[in-house]
This record gives sequence, structure tokens and C-alpha cells, in this order.
Amino acid sequence: MNWKPDWGLRGRMALTMFLLFALYIVFAGLLAWYFDGLFIMAGFMGVFLFAQFFFSDKIALYSMGASVVDEDDGPQARKLHAMVGRLSQQADLPKPKVAIADTRVPNAFATGRSQKSSAVCVTTGLMETLDDDELEGVIAHELAHVKNRDVMVMTIASFLSSIAFLIVRWGWLFGGDDNRQNAPVIVAIIASLVVWIISYLLIRALSRYREYAADRGAAVITGRPSALASALLKISGRMDNVPKRDMRDTSEMNAFFIIPIKSDFIGRLFSTHPSTENRVERLRDMEREMETA
Amino acid sequence: MGLFDSFRAMLGISAESDATTKADPEDLFGMSTAYLTMEADLRFDSADEAALCFSSVDSTDFADTVDAVEDILTAGSEETGTEFSRHTDGHGYNWVVLADDDPEDLVTSVHFAADEFIERGYGSRLLAALFGFERDGDRAYWIYSFRRGAYYPFAPQGTSTRNQSLEFKLESVLDGELEIEGDESYWYPLWPSTPNGHPWD
Repeated sequence: MNWKPDWGLRGRMALTMFLLFALYIVFAGLLAWYFDGLFIMAGFMGVFLFAQFFFSDKIALYSMGASVVDEDDGPQARKLHAMVGRLSQQADLPKPKVAIADTRVPNAFATGRSQKSSAVCVTTGLMETLDDDELEGVIAHELAHVKNRDVMVMTIASFLSSIAFLIVRWGWLFGGDDNRQNAPVIVAIIASLVVWIISYLLIRALSRYREYAADRGAAVITGRPSALASALLKISGRMDNVPKRDMRDTSEMNAFFIIPIKSDFIGRLFSTHPSTENRVERLRDMEREMETA
Repeated sequence: MGLFDSFRAMLGISAESDATTKADPEDLFGMSTAYLTMEADLRFDSADEAALCFSSVDSTDFADTVDAVEDILTAGSEETGTEFSRHTDGHGYNWVVLADDDPEDLVTSVHFAADEFIERGYGSRLLAALFGFERDGDRAYWIYSFRRGAYYPFAPQGTSTRNQSLEFKLESVLDGELEIEGDESYWYPLWPSTPNGHPWD
């Protein structure tokens, strides 16, 4: 079974990455022009990036209160292991670790810097809310993230953006003395601010495109686009009823969630995920293609 | 990770394209002689059962394909006496289970069934073919991965532990005769749901 490739999506993704890359080149050039101790800073940031990259899976699991489970840690664990195993086999992926987070919020995420160190985590709320086919769709979506190496792609994509943010936030500490051009530090701060805002929007766009890509991956892995679609509808229906406190606790993790926790302040441009309606619509297209092609 | 892989990962299409990789049934036939080696060198007898494991597609065309596979096996059973049954287990795996006391017929039937899936464009849905072996109550399986075109050993003890030394022995003895998966992280377990059952029961 083969679906038509979504060239529009691939094109938009490539364009976003190209723009981000171009922006970063300009920014790096600007930093090199401005600062003296650039190499020291780059080294420092490199270590930071490496650490973030290396420990991201543990940090993510820890901050969600999730624990990695074995095959024989009860019926839920057994069921998840069987499901993850079968779907990874279909996706041609080494079986990732399986983790369960004990919270009523129905959600799932994947972590890990490489395919071999990855983990798939689902919440107990998710297992209660969804039936087996839907759960399979959600897990396949997370496996598609692992397969597409989204943690690595997004970490690299946001590297210089976080440097820009650090300069905006702490640049004034550098004062005016230690830069090469004797330009006031405000110049560097304003430039960084511009870079940060543009890159922020680009990264968010990239994140949304990668969600669509993972949805397609999930549909292809399970051979059942409708299952993920109904899971998305079910979860997004439930998400609106979740108490506010949970949202704040977990909103940092949004980028890795299957469905982000809703926020009224953030418009579509700023969101890490496309709207559920758009995602379901695309899955419906795939379902139609399957029966008519 | 090669350049091409990185490129596919960048565009976010690795999942989509790898999940639709064509099946590679080329080295499946190695099992015919492996049965002899298993018996002669390791005293493992055929369990007289083999199985084909696939993931389904939620479409009418796929349902037709499964029907066609059943037709082929029905026709085959008249010739060779290989019995077959089809079911879905508690983990959502789909199985075609074959029973015959001639290992040669098991291999042929698995091949016929797999071929029909491949012909109709569903080769990427084939997960594995399993061939069962027994020795004094010990169970062992050779599992052929159609995704990777290679075999790996699987020796379950109870319902969630692997007898790794036995698997290692099987690997060492049959290496060269069978195409064996070199990367052990792809040796997916297929646990039986009861301690003495087959994975497909």
C-alpha cells in the first residue's frame, strides 16, 4: 500500500528549514563581527547543547513523572510492550523503551536523541480514554517522531535561537567594553531580539509540519488513518475539560505531546501543533485515497 | 546514519517510507536445509507448525487479498495436506498458522502465502514468518523478518524471558546457512501468551 507523497508538505518543510538556516548564518556572522570571546561562548553553548541533547530523554520523562516499565510490570505494561513492539517492527525501528505516566491527562510523547535510546511514553489517562486501535494510532505517531528523528532536528533547529534568547535576556551583563567594534551592547541585543522572534515563528512552523509528517507516518504504519483521526478527536475533546493547574505544570513539554495543552493566548502562528480539524482532514484524505486509489 | 537517511529525516519522511519498504523474501528458503541442521546438530525437532504474521490495512482491497491468500492455501492443502488457520491474537497480530509434519511443505506454504501478499502490493505489511522447533519441552523459533530479509532466533522461557544462551547457540550453529540479522536490536520478541503456547496461539 502506497500513498501519494505529500510534496506540498515536504516543500514547506524544506523552505522553513532553509529560511532558518539562512537566518542563523546571518546571526552567526553578526555575532562574530560583534563579540571578541565568541569561541569561548560557542564552546560553552556547545556543551550546553550536548548536555540537553544527551539528557533530554531523562529530563522529559522525569518532568512528566513517568517511569520506564518492563514487559512484566502488570497488564497495562504488557499490552503497551506488545503494541510498541509490533508497530516498531512495521516501522523498521529497534523497539524503544516504554514508559507510563500516572496522570489523568490523556497524552503521549516520545523522547530520545537517537533511535536506539528513545522512549515512548503514554499516560494512564490516554489508555483509559482510547480503545486499542486508537491507542495504536497514537503510539505509531510517536514512533514516527522517533523514526523522523524529530528530537534531534528540533534541538538543532532551536540551538541558535536559544543563544539569541540568552543574549536578549543577559546581553546587558556584557557591557560595552569587551566587544570588537566598540558598538553599544544594545545593538547586539536588538539584533538578537529580531533573530529570536523570526526564528521562533519559523521553529513553530517547522514543528507543525513535522506533526503532519508524523501523522502520515502513523497512518502508514498502522494502515488505518481513521484510528488516529478518531483518537485525535477524542483527546482534543477531553483536553478542554482538563483542570487548569495541570496545564501549567506540563505546558513546557508541549512540543513533544500528541496534542498540546490548549492556551487561549497563543494564536495559531505560535502553536507547536496544527489544529485538530486540519490534522483530521488530512487523515481523512489518506483514508479516502486508500479505498479509491 | 548515511547522507540519504539524514536527508529523509530532515524532510520528516523516514517513517512513511520505511513503513512501506518492500518485502524481501529472498532468503526465506534457507529454512529448508536449516531444519536438517537443527535436527542433526542440535537435536531440535520440527514443532510441525509455522506461521506468517502480518499487520492489516483497513481497506477493502486488503481484505480481498487476505481472502485470496486463504484460497491459495486451501488449494495447497489439497495437494500437500498442509492445514491452515487464520486468526488475530490478543496483541492485535494477524496470523496465518500452518501445520504439517513435513518441514519442506511448511516452508513452501509460507512462501506461497507471502508471495500473494507481495504480488498484490502488500509486501510491506508482512512482519515475520515463524518456524517452530522443540527439544525436550524447550521451544525455539527461527523468525524471518521480511522487512530486513534475515532470520533471527527466538527462544522464549515462560511468557516474558528469553533464553539468551540458547539463542546464541542457534545463531552460532546456523550462521552461514541462514542469513542472520546482525543487529540484535531488531530481534523483536513475539511472546506466547501462555508459558507453553506458541506465539501465534
